Amino acid sequence: MTRRGRAAATGPAPTERLRVDPVACAGVAICARVASDLVDLDRWGFPVLASGALGAREREAARRAVAACPRRALWLDVADVDDR
Amino acid sequence: MSVIATPAAAHRRHPAHDGRLLTADAPVPRVGPADPLGPAPRDDLDRHHARLGPRPRGGPDLIDDVEAAALTGRGGAAFPVAGKWRIALSATAATVVANAAESEPLSAKDGTLLRQRPHLVLDGLAITAEALGAARAVVWLHGDDDGAHRALAEALAQRRAAVPLDPVIELVRGPSHLLAGESGAIARALDGGPALPRLRRGPRGHGPVTVVHNAETLARVGLLARGLSGDGTRLLTVLTPDARLVVEVARGTPTLDVLRGTGLDVARPPEAVLLGGLGGTWLPWREVVASVVDDGAAPGRVGPSLGRVLGPGVLAPIPPGSCGLAETAAAVAYLARMSARQCGPCLFGLPALGHALAELVHGRARAADARRLVEDLDAIRGRGACHHPDATVGLVRSALDVFAGDVVAHLSGRPCVGARTVTLPVPGIRA
Repeated sequence: MTRRGRAAATGPAPTERLRVDPVACAGVAICARVASDLVDLDRWGFPVLASGALGAREREAARRAVAACPRRALWLDVADVDDR
Repeated sequence: MSVIATPAAAHRRHPAHDGRLLTADAPVPRVGPADPLGPAPRDDLDRHHARLGPRPRGGPDLIDDVEAAALTGRGGAAFPVAGKWRIALSATAATVVANAAESEPLSAKDGTLLRQRPHLVLDGLAITAEALGAARAVVWLHGDDDGAHRALAEALAQRRAAVPLDPVIELVRGPSHLLAGESGAIARALDGGPALPRLRRGPRGHGPVTVVHNAETLARVGLLARGLSGDGTRLLTVLTPDARLVVEVARGTPTLDVLRGTGLDVARPPEAVLLGGLGGTWLPWREVVASVVDDGAAPGRVGPSLGRVLGPGVLAPIPPGSCGLAETAAAVAYLARMSARQCGPCLFGLPALGHALAELVHGRARAADARRLVEDLDAIRGRGACHHPDATVGLVRSALDVFAGDVVAHLSGRPCVGARTVTLPVPGIRA
């Protein structure tokens, strides 16, 4: 994968976290099925994401969640960026 | 002849200016736009120049003065002005906006300032646009604020005739709903989108930026750029039984003096005071008595400083015998209606808070309902695209804290006697 290749070239793998755009999110909730360890649903059916940097195995699940969202509301971000 | 002077010349000519923004305190109706209830003088361009002289040009060095004065935004969030400027200076192109859409329903200080001294706000906008090398300068208004629109349109017409070097200033009327005054919504609308809070996702640090400043903030830039003390006072809107009073007080003034000055009978103390408006927080009377209005650098000198908690500068006492939970429930019902309906936690969470509070007010809630209300507060906070749900959560949390005794009584089926009446002028609710 390109992302992995780039990380290998520049040093340690960048820490990433899963993020959601609440405007784009429509509560489809597929993310909670494909990445149940990373995504909880609130009582209205909208995702509550695990905070903090993703481990190697979690990153794979997070990628599946990003790819599965029909609203394209999820993405992987650099973990130290915190504007909520 | 150019009427744009250097900062030094402007300073020399008016050394005795007192740094005040308002020409007079103003009573305005308890709801709606800030159209004054009494006679209110408006400075035309001649009067404005007689007071302050022509405006200086803005340059990139002005950021140092703004930073030295520690000027913060007066729209409610108190974000440092120099910080916004730094972001704009590093961008390729900037739009500077004077946010004249005063969204907090209890606040009338921006509307009053715009009606009394439109030229001071426009000076600040023009100076900021020059300082940031902005491509666009815009005044953004709520669609229903005809009075402010008239004041600004007249002022802009006077300037076009007399100040040839002023940047082009667009006067834009947005929708009138609450979130049309949110900075992300303004930026989105000026880019051709809907006037709704922005999506969170997107490239960072590239492309054009939109710098949104509250109208009062820009008026203060208009004073600072002239070498005058620009930040020694606070504009406040104080709710009284008959009107809202817009007043200007020196920073550090005891809050009790402000309330006494607007006719409050402190021998019959209010149940509590709502600070910052419907999207603000409650403060118990004993803490109000000990506090001073935002005194800036020296908190605690006289008493705890009401800095950030004043938000856009609202003080709303509720009369003795009123029920703080009923007031809060009415405010939350309004805030839920004002959701942009974009983010699930706000769209569904705020009505859930409103419903839970209404049940509590009427004595129908039990301990389990109260626990779920607290869980919902945790579930909603920080999960919207803008701060609207966070402000609502903050209001409810402060109510559960300040009116904790009332919560216990309501939960045991004994609501306050005052629970049937709402005294706050919540839009859409008959007071």
